[in-house]
Amino acid sequence: MAAVAEYISRNSPIHRLNPLTKMIWALSILGVGLLFNDYRYLLALLASVLLVAAAAGVLRSLLPAAAGLTVFALILLLIQALFYGQGQVLFYLVPVSNRLAVTGPGLLSGIAMAARMMALVLSFLIFLATTRTRDIVLTLVEKLKVPYDYAFMFMTALRFIPAFFSEVRQVSEAQQARAYAVEGWNPVKKIRAYAPVAVPLVLLSLNKADQLAMAMETRGYSGGLRTCLREAKMGVADYGLSVLLALLLVGSAAARLAGYGLM
Amino acid sequence: MQRKARIKVEKLTYHYGSGQPVLKNISFETGKGECIALIGQNGAGKTTLAKHFNGLHRPSSGKVYIDGIDTTSMKVSELARKVGFVFQNPDHQIFHDTVAREVAFGLRNLRLSRREIEERTAAALEAVGLTEHCRTYPFNLSKGQRQRIALASVLAMQTETIVLDEPTTGQDFRESVQIMEIVRKLNENGHTIIFITHDMSLVARYARRVLVLCRGEILADGDVRSVFAAPEILKKTYLRPPQITNLARCLGRHSIPPDVLGVRELYELLVKMRSEKIGCCS
Repeated sequence: MAAVAEYISRNSPIHRLNPLTKMIWALSILGVGLLFNDYRYLLALLASVLLVAAAAGVLRSLLPAAAGLTVFALILLLIQALFYGQGQVLFYLVPVSNRLAVTGPGLLSGIAMAARMMALVLSFLIFLATTRTRDIVLTLVEKLKVPYDYAFMFMTALRFIPAFFSEVRQVSEAQQARAYAVEGWNPVKKIRAYAPVAVPLVLLSLNKADQLAMAMETRGYSGGLRTCLREAKMGVADYGLSVLLALLLVGSAAARLAGYGLM
Repeated sequence: MQRKARIKVEKLTYHYGSGQPVLKNISFETGKGECIALIGQNGAGKTTLAKHFNGLHRPSSGKVYIDGIDTTSMKVSELARKVGFVFQNPDHQIFHDTVAREVAFGLRNLRLSRREIEERTAAALEAVGLTEHCRTYPFNLSKGQRQRIALASVLAMQTETIVLDEPTTGQDFRESVQIMEIVRKLNENGHTIIFITHDMSLVARYARRVLVLCRGEILADGDVRSVFAAPEILKKTYLRPPQITNLARCLGRHSIPPDVLGVRELYELLVKMRSEKIGCCS
């Protein structure tokens, strides 16, 4: 769980790209993914996202996240397959009574939905895994003119996730070492039984927020005009790729208008 | 007579996820009533090893036995009856509104009678010197005092083995000594003690046996004197014997033994030598 939404240090061509280019890439995936609903197009899109992950050398690290996503993908698939309700019936989930029919088009649209969801989420995770947080903030603020406060809030929230999970683990270990165990089926009891983990976590988080605020103030946060030490330059590859991606997006929109990729 | 091992570790190897092993092929055992210091540089695997003693980590390969029972089949909450664990940061465990209730938490998990809980809580608070604070809100106390609450909550469980992960970090000298004196008393009462520390003078003063870890392997395992008398080994894991041992070593050619552990000890040796006129004191 700790690897999700964290930067993974590698020296790949993807890592060396400008954050803006990768942001454009993730947005293009989003655009293309939403334009089409043919399962073949969307599976190809998912495959291209996985190829980029492999090129960046982060495919293996993203596998746990991808495995987690497949659970949701399967739920999507099931819901689509069950409630599409048109076309030829392939089989029934409850065989004897002929209930819950799964139709051919329903199944395919389910696959399309699942592939779309995975492609979109994974492209965002790849963006985060291949780009340093400070570079994202830099791009958001310098290139996209997002107010620094908002960019900072966004990145702090992202950074907080892994830290929070590590704290959850430490607290529950500390309580288990004092013979604490969540037992039984009674939901009310179960919620109460989480207090030993939840209370220290809330206290620690408040404490952490307090310390963060202090650290920010001592380092001159909001102390006036900000200047940047580093500047993220757009290289030839960045411009080339950005143009290609823009063309891809325009081309996809044109293809969609011409009636391709629909089901 | 066969000495029964309290903790027995056999060819223990451990890695997080699918990464590099953090512990490599570790084997040792501890007898009843030992007082062991676990030392080594940051990242050597001290805490990781210690977490195997109460089942928070399970060996990737190899076995850990507590009182002869294989830990793989036991829950952490069951092992908590045998091995107490004092963590580095007390704020990871404190959640009650009074010190006494905090200490009683583990005892309630053990389903002891109300009277027993009250007695043990009072005794544990007495031992760490927090009796007058039993109704205080824990977060109104200092970090050092909260560390002692954590210690008391483990003491109260009266486990045969107690593991302490850097019990003296963030404490001033007086508080450190206070905590280690409690530990010494526990050891004298027959508890097996394993403590992790970076403070070599504490090791010299309180431990009888030292386990030196370096990059997941045991570099040395022996009584304190013999380990500190071999600084070349300690150097590999960026540790240095206490200053007084270093001084004794430097004086070695004047027939001072190299394994002196305390100031008093060296002083007495020197006084004795002066009266005997051995060595070269011309």
